[in-house]
Amino acid sequence: MKRILVADDEMSIRLLYSEELREEGYEVFTASNGKEALEVVAKEPLDLIILDIKMPEMSGIEVLRQIKEKYPNLPVLLSSAYSEYKQDFGTWASEEYLVKSSDLEDLKSAVRKHLKD
Amino acid sequence: MSPNRLSFLTQLIDLFTSTVAYGERLDNFVYLVARNLKVDLTLFFGLDKNRATLFLNADSRRIGARPRLEFPLGQGIVGETAQKRIPIIVQAQQPGVKNSNQALETIFPDYQSLACYPVADDNFLYGVLLFIDKDQRNSNLHEQETVLIACRMLAGNIRQALLHEEAKKRIAELAVLFDVAKAVGSTMELNAILERVVSISAKVLNARGATLLIVDEVSQQIHVSSEYGTIPKGIPTSETLANKIPVASGEFSSVTSEMTGSEGEKHYYAGIPLNLKGHLKGMLCLYDKMTPNHRFQQFDSENIQLLQTLAGMATSSIENALAFQQIEALAAKNERMVNVLTVLHDISSVLMTTIDLNKILTILVRALTLKNAMGYDRAMIFLVDKTRNLLVEEGYAFQQTTPPDLPLRQALIMEPKIPPGPTYLGSEAIQVTLRGDQGILAQTVLSRKAFHILQADKHPQVNQQIREKLSGQEFVTVPLLVKEEAIGVIVIDNHHSNRPLKDEDMHFLTMFANQAALAIENSRLVETIEASSRELTLIRERMLESDRLAAMSSMAEGLAHEIRNPLVSIGGFARRISKQVAPEDSLKQYVDVIVDEVGRLEKILRQMFDYTGDTLGYFQEHEINKLVEDALTLTQRDLEKYHIRVIKAYAELPPVYCDERQIKLVFYNIFQNAQQAMENGGALTIRTFPLEKSDGLYAAISVSDTGGGIAPELVYNIFNPFFTTKEQGTGLGLSIAQRIVSRHYGDIEINNELGKGITFTVTLPIAKYCLIPPGKTSPAVTSSEEV
Repeated sequence: MKRILVADDEMSIRLLYSEELREEGYEVFTASNGKEALEVVAKEPLDLIILDIKMPEMSGIEVLRQIKEKYPNLPVLLSSAYSEYKQDFGTWASEEYLVKSSDLEDLKSAVRKHLKD
Repeated sequence: MSPNRLSFLTQLIDLFTSTVAYGERLDNFVYLVARNLKVDLTLFFGLDKNRATLFLNADSRRIGARPRLEFPLGQGIVGETAQKRIPIIVQAQQPGVKNSNQALETIFPDYQSLACYPVADDNFLYGVLLFIDKDQRNSNLHEQETVLIACRMLAGNIRQALLHEEAKKRIAELAVLFDVAKAVGSTMELNAILERVVSISAKVLNARGATLLIVDEVSQQIHVSSEYGTIPKGIPTSETLANKIPVASGEFSSVTSEMTGSEGEKHYYAGIPLNLKGHLKGMLCLYDKMTPNHRFQQFDSENIQLLQTLAGMATSSIENALAFQQIEALAAKNERMVNVLTVLHDISSVLMTTIDLNKILTILVRALTLKNAMGYDRAMIFLVDKTRNLLVEEGYAFQQTTPPDLPLRQALIMEPKIPPGPTYLGSEAIQVTLRGDQGILAQTVLSRKAFHILQADKHPQVNQQIREKLSGQEFVTVPLLVKEEAIGVIVIDNHHSNRPLKDEDMHFLTMFANQAALAIENSRLVETIEASSRELTLIRERMLESDRLAAMSSMAEGLAHEIRNPLVSIGGFARRISKQVAPEDSLKQYVDVIVDEVGRLEKILRQMFDYTGDTLGYFQEHEINKLVEDALTLTQRDLEKYHIRVIKAYAELPPVYCDERQIKLVFYNIFQNAQQAMENGGALTIRTFPLEKSDGLYAAISVSDTGGGIAPELVYNIFNPFFTTKEQGTGLGLSIAQRIVSRHYGDIEINNELGKGITFTVTLPIAKYCLIPPGKTSPAVTSSEEV
């Protein structure tokens, strides 16, 4: 079973994503801020991370940078309520940048795409 | 004394005290002598002025025409008596008498007796009295005594007559000299004085003609200054005459000479040099002194003396008059100088009252044409347009008059009747390209020199335009110089008055042009400073506006972020509920409303912010012309609706490395913007062309509308988010376009022409030269900035 970390400071988002992804058959971990996310990454072997950008303690961008340093092959999907233009600033290292949407089909298809191999 | 002698002497006294003329008195004298002393023939011989010859002057027979008879001094009884001053009485039969007095035979043949008495006083001998008798004459002592008394009386009378003649002549001469002196001392013009001198000289000497030759100070040529009477034909030229004046150690002496006229007749002339301080100033020439019976005769030394006196007076008067003329000319020139300088000073002070270029040009053309300023008939001012390399007519005026009591300073700033600007005879302003072969105006600027053209229609350097406007006139062009650079040209002419333009005009115009150029340059500098200051103010306003808009944008985006999170949760869970509710359940309908409404809100947010929609950038090689065409198709309906004509000019271009959807969006937004600017119709011009930039080859796409453009101060905000000039716009279209283009390493430029329209030019790197590595969605930019 593929293991996915959802890191988002919004409890409702964590809940929504977890439920939807579990339904898809993934094992889902959650983290409510950047630090927690890094702790989970350090503790648990993961297949994919869905990372919010704006989080307390540590921003998603910094988390992304640290993860990519240690696990360059671990796919990270950025999921942000910000518009796409934020992509300019250091989001290049992620596999995808997704603007949050109530329709999770885009997110799920991206997850499927990156967990294929 | 015998009664006879008493009666005779009484008769003589009566004769000598009578008012009878001298010549007649002589005739009467010899007659009385012959009658009283019973002489067959009594003659009087007068000694000539040269005291060399004795001429027959009176004859007692009172015959009409006196024969010409003369005895040189010392010859014959007449000459001997005159020489010895004693009476000589001889008989014809005495040896040698007949021989030595042969001349007498012609008037009295076969005479027997001759008696000759000197007519003299204590000092001078005036002539001799000769008695000729056909019989032997017995001249007794008594008779001799009587004759000697009569001769003494005659001598006295002759002396008196001579003195009288002399006095009369002197008085006449003095009268002439007085006339001349009066003339030369008068305020008459030099020419009138000279004419008077010439005519008086001729009249007083009874000469047929006279000329005055003057040596020109500058050229040293001799020319005829005045003439009087008849000048003989074929006389030598004035130069030849002047050459005949003997020059000896700086002194010039008079000459008298004979010449042969063209018809072989003989002429006489006298040449009197006009000598001033050793310089030959000219010559007074008199021709053909006339005798009372109209024969020509030579001038004598007395004539020459009188002429020399006249010439001396004339010389000084000529010199005075010349000096006076020079002084007058200098004074007039000085006065003009002072006037012009005063005018220039006034113009300069008026110029200082304004920095407005139009006002300055008006003042300048007025100054050039106002009667009490420079006073030219017409004036034009051209200024150099550096960016277009043209010389453009900027000001023009006709000669104007102002109320006489209006000071120049006020006249210059009066509202002109003719507004400044190119109003030359109602035609359009002249424009001349600044090139050497473009005629005199361009040359004035390029050579920085003034030109004085005497005939515009004959001068090869005057181009057709100018020639037509100046109608073949004399005119002057003067460059407006500032620090060795010509910023324009002044052109003036005297079209109506035809007053000739002189060196002095050139001089003053140059001084005027210097002032004018400074004033124009100052005005331009001030204009530049003002423009810079305006621009700075604009930039500051623009920056404030940008800041405001940026703050707004950032706030809106933060807001969108905050809204989107709960929306995602609401929508996401609603979808989950919807999946779990049975289709027939009424809740299903409610939940779906929530899902739809959240979707609608999300769509609005996406439209406002997520303009790339799909987050994935797919960079590939694309034909830019095709992408532009596709974007145009999307706008086609709107363009047709508003009757907007589309003009296309596509160049063949290498492929561009880009995200197809994003680039289409760029042009869609630009076309939308153009269409919204032309709701009353117009033309949309699309051109594509290659553009070489310093860092490589680019594809350029320019899109122009005819929507009139926008206010210049708004141009700077056109790419700011939420900036819009339209009621229904979001203000995001061009902002999105700019961001997309910039992400493609391209550029978007705007050229706003107020009143015409706006042109957007998008440049995108050609794929071959593109820096973005294939397969990567975005350039490598790192930032640690918290966002």
